[in-house]
Amino acid sequence: MIQTSNLTFQYKKGEQILSFPNITLDKQESLLVLGKSGIGKTTFLHLLAGLLKPTGGKVLISDIDLCSLSHNQLDKFRGQQIGLVFQKKYAIQSLSLLDNLKMRLFLSKKSIKDTRIKLLLEQLDLNDCKNKRVQALSEGQLQRLSIAMAVIHRPQVILADEPTSSLDDENCKNVIELLKQQARETEANLIVITHDHRIKPYFQKSITL
Amino acid sequence: MMIWKTSLYNLKSKPLYTILNIFSLSLSMLLLLGIRQLKISFEHQVAHNLGNIDLVIGAKGSPLQLVLSSVLHLDNPIGNILYEEAKKISKNPMVKTAVPISYGDHYKGYRIVGTTNDFMTLYDAKLERGQKVDNVLEVIIGSTVAAELQLDIGDTFLSSHGLTEHSIEVHAEKLTVVGILKPTRKVIDHLIITGLESIWDIHHHENEMMDEHKEHDHEEEHRKEFDTEGHEEKEITSLLVSFRNPVAFLNLPRKINEETNMQAALPKYELNKLYNYLSLGIDTIAVIAYLILMISVMTIFISLYKMVKERSFDLALLRTYGASNFQLIQMILFEGLIIVMIAFIIGVLVLKIGANVVFELLGQKDKVHMFVTLPFQEILQIGVVVVILIILTVLLAIIPIIKMNISTILNNEK
Repeated sequence: MIQTSNLTFQYKKGEQILSFPNITLDKQESLLVLGKSGIGKTTFLHLLAGLLKPTGGKVLISDIDLCSLSHNQLDKFRGQQIGLVFQKKYAIQSLSLLDNLKMRLFLSKKSIKDTRIKLLLEQLDLNDCKNKRVQALSEGQLQRLSIAMAVIHRPQVILADEPTSSLDDENCKNVIELLKQQARETEANLIVITHDHRIKPYFQKSITL
Repeated sequence: MMIWKTSLYNLKSKPLYTILNIFSLSLSMLLLLGIRQLKISFEHQVAHNLGNIDLVIGAKGSPLQLVLSSVLHLDNPIGNILYEEAKKISKNPMVKTAVPISYGDHYKGYRIVGTTNDFMTLYDAKLERGQKVDNVLEVIIGSTVAAELQLDIGDTFLSSHGLTEHSIEVHAEKLTVVGILKPTRKVIDHLIITGLESIWDIHHHENEMMDEHKEHDHEEEHRKEFDTEGHEEKEITSLLVSFRNPVAFLNLPRKINEETNMQAALPKYELNKLYNYLSLGIDTIAVIAYLILMISVMTIFISLYKMVKERSFDLALLRTYGASNFQLIQMILFEGLIIVMIAFIIGVLVLKIGANVVFELLGQKDKVHMFVTLPFQEILQIGVVVVILIILTVLLAIIPIIKMNISTILNNEK
């Protein structure tokens, strides 16, 4: 469950104040946030992930107010309850695919069994390249790895920032379906932020910034 | 565990930087350790090998040479003194013990010292097995000699004339091992000890043989030693004296130097003089070693700082995975510490192996005892200094992490 109220953000004093619409998502609900470039989509996502502190308003995830958490609590909360997917499919460069997933689990401090990694590797068709270093992975493998990194620890909220903008139609469809499937399996809220209108049909609920 | 692993993989992913860092750091550690080693070895010589020897009396010449040859058994003897004359000094009331020594022979590079049983008390040496020397041509051997030459009680060997392994003139008399000493970590471990009479006997016979061959002009020293049959003026190389009373330090050496044709040298004073000559060189190397340490710490700083900057996205990503600032700092600290540990091990190993190889190459096996094993405490001291420097370095290198704005970094990389 995720809820925002009267969320505003200002990068520097005197600059324009960004304000964001209130959203309320029930358990397992998904949301598409559409908007042109430069309108503050990523800022909204970072506010939801607790990476930025809002100037005003509140973000509640499972009734926990992110603003009320200390620096360390926020790190911990993020590690356990939030999964982020980025446009560039980054993971830790010096580690292998498998070690990246192990690292993600380790940092979440959640006790999740190793079978979870195995299952996910199979679901995302990453079993063959699990020992490859991130640098050696193909585009598609990186894309799937970044989804795996976002869901391995069974977060409450999956936040995806422009996950499809550089993909062709078919891959775009694949990625969205994988994200939705993983959100369903982990019973998480999925919020996708994009300017890519191709994925509008996959979501029941959408807002425009 | 994952943090350690990441640090290790980070290092592995940039091998050139890692090798450069390890190389420069181990070089500076090697120098630092080496200098410490030199200093300690020297101090050990002064403090331990002197045993209870306050004064050395020998033939006139260089006092330093007298000390080196008669106390540390490193250099050649200057010449001999008359036993009768030396005996007079032992009767001085200020003298506690006076031990005559006479040498000039070796067995496989280990010196044979003719002396009395008091010699052992100078070094607080105790017999491990066997008995003291009672008869002519019996020897007791130091622990290192026993181990290196694999000699045991009852074994016999022929001594050679001269003091180095390469002299080949062999004496005819067989020496028999009757005792083995416990290890003392002093110079006595490397010596073969026998009675004065054995040395005299060996050279006496030799002299007779020479007479037969009419080589009178040769070995003048020996002829003088035994100039008339039956009435020999016995000679020794030097007399090791310990005082009963510190006042003797003031009077006795001057008296001997002025009133006899022998010289008296104070080992502590001579060795300190030598140490002062050397310490200028040692200090210079120490300064260079610290400079290299500074440079290598700076190299490590630059590569860690660069890594923090270059990997800022990775680090920001780790933060989004839930890593705390502290965990990121740990990761970089581990990278620094892994470099230090490897460099340290290399430094210590090269020093240990290097010292042995150098002495082996120089063919001076008998001088390895100059090298004292560096005490663990000393190694630890240098280790602690380096680790503190590295921790400071890491603290500087992670400033960008503390200042990191995850949101901005993620945005910029998009």
